[in-house]
Amino acid sequence: MEFGPHLLLATLEGAISAAVLALIAVGLSIVFGIMRVVNVAHGEFYMLGAVMAWWITSHVGGHPAIGFLLALIVAPIMVGSIAALADHLILRRINYDPERTIVATIGLLYVLQQLTLMTFGADARPVEAPFNMRIALPWFENGVDGWSMYWPWGLSTTTYKLAVIVAAVVVLVGLWLFMTRTRAGLIMRATQLNRDMALAHGIPVEKIYALVFGLGAGLAALASVLVVPIQQAHYLMGGDPLLLAFIVVIIGGLGSIPGTIVAAILIGMSDGIISVFFSPTLAKILATLLVAFVLIFRPQGLMGKPAK
Amino acid sequence: MLNVKNIEVAYDKVQVLFDVSFDVKSGEIFCLLGRNGAGKTTALKSIMGLLPLKTGSIQFDNQTLSTMAPYDVPKQGIAYVPQGRGLFSELTVAQNIEIGLMVKNSGAATRERVLDIFPRLRERLKQRADTLSGGEQQMLAMARALSMEPKLLLLDEPTEGLQPSIIKLIQDVIVNMKQAGVAIVLVEHHIETVLTIADRVAFVENGRCQKIAEINDLKNNPEEIHRYLGVN
Ligand SMILES: Nc1ncnc2c1ncn2[C@@H]1O[C@H](COP(=O)(O)OP(=O)(O)O)[C@@H](O)[C@H]1O
Ligand SMILES: [Mg+2]
Repeated sequence: MEFGPHLLLATLEGAISAAVLALIAVGLSIVFGIMRVVNVAHGEFYMLGAVMAWWITSHVGGHPAIGFLLALIVAPIMVGSIAALADHLILRRINYDPERTIVATIGLLYVLQQLTLMTFGADARPVEAPFNMRIALPWFENGVDGWSMYWPWGLSTTTYKLAVIVAAVVVLVGLWLFMTRTRAGLIMRATQLNRDMALAHGIPVEKIYALVFGLGAGLAALASVLVVPIQQAHYLMGGDPLLLAFIVVIIGGLGSIPGTIVAAILIGMSDGIISVFFSPTLAKILATLLVAFVLIFRPQGLMGKPAK
Repeated sequence: MLNVKNIEVAYDKVQVLFDVSFDVKSGEIFCLLGRNGAGKTTALKSIMGLLPLKTGSIQFDNQTLSTMAPYDVPKQGIAYVPQGRGLFSELTVAQNIEIGLMVKNSGAATRERVLDIFPRLRERLKQRADTLSGGEQQMLAMARALSMEPKLLLLDEPTEGLQPSIIKLIQDVIVNMKQAGVAIVLVEHHIETVLTIADRVAFVENGRCQKIAEINDLKNNPEEIHRYLGVN
């Protein structure tokens, strides 16, 4: 394949990574922003979403779309409920103390991972996409007789991959509207801005925390349900997304949703493109270097506020 | 109406309040006076349930505040304007007031009444709280508290750093609340304000409530105030 078509293909793969990463990282970001909790177990909620999607789809007969749609709704709700329960049983008991929550969520990471291994085994599990038409993509060439369009061999994507991008955009826009236009979103932002004054206005802060922790985990689970027809479910799949999500949240500015989305696009796209042209390892190295530079030259992140 | 009985409060291991007691009646302006670090802010936070009591109890309207969940305290009709205003900085003026209205599920009528008191805020409803001037921020903090339709109002240095015209406005609002029967606990350094509007004054020193005096007794004897505040 020539360079141009190859780049388009890489960009498309990058857009899918970016879309999925944005969902995961926004989940991590709202948990940090509102609760000041660094959730090291976030990748495991992502993993749980994928494993549940496999479990649900393998137990529902009929057209693959039926099981998948069910998983798309049920898995994030289940994972969100597990997270809210973990908040109630663990994080609340240690009073959301910043250092202790890191240790506690590291513990949670291993508990969730090992429970999944013990229950579902170590095999990678496929999930069938609800629809998966291959569509060839055209390319344009300026030849001897002007511009012409042709269909390079191998330049194609699937309807499902495009649908993943659309779904991520829809969810993120919905989340944005929820946070800025609804009463519940207003209450969450007030809690984030001033915990004591939220209490002094009758806001049950601990209930809000459980809700936010569930919402963050639910977003990670939603991302993994979307990804699992492309990637397969496995009990160790949470590691890479966790690392990338941390990179994105730091670059975007801790707790800033717009910053997180911009950084997810930046990291996701470059990860996709560099992986296609060079190697996935180089992509991770460059992302890590970028974090180091951000931390040195703009520690508050692209859109974060400087610490007072 | 408000009954603070023998409370002791500590931050971790450092005890800050020792055996503090006072009561405030409805329609009364009760003033806490004392130097920086005496424990006045700590006393107000304790009433709001934001700090746990080591001993003692706080009653309001026959309810025990000190055993309630902190988020239930405001629902009893208690509004708090903290030192430094405590606005939701990234929310707009309208949203800050909306959060005040939520406490009692008050509607548009309350909102309009509050905005009539502070017309400057009506012109800035869509503006973010942290872009307001200092005086406007204090008006917003007061407006947010009034939108809770409180029976008890806790004010921590509400005139701090404000110009005289705005101090006058805040004083007038406080006096109007008092006349409407609201009980008011006021932490205030501005002695003119204290002498103008307070009914009774408690002197707080090193976390102890040293003396409670009627304002009329102090008016004849201003040296006493100066002695407790440590100003010449
Ligand atoms: N969050 C805190 N942690 C530890 N000590 C505190 C804290 N806040 C206040 N203090 C201490 O409690 C004492 C009383 O403070 P405060 O109630 O703010 O006094 P005031 O409002 O009268 O100036 C001071 O010695 C102060 O240093
Ligand atoms: Mg103070």
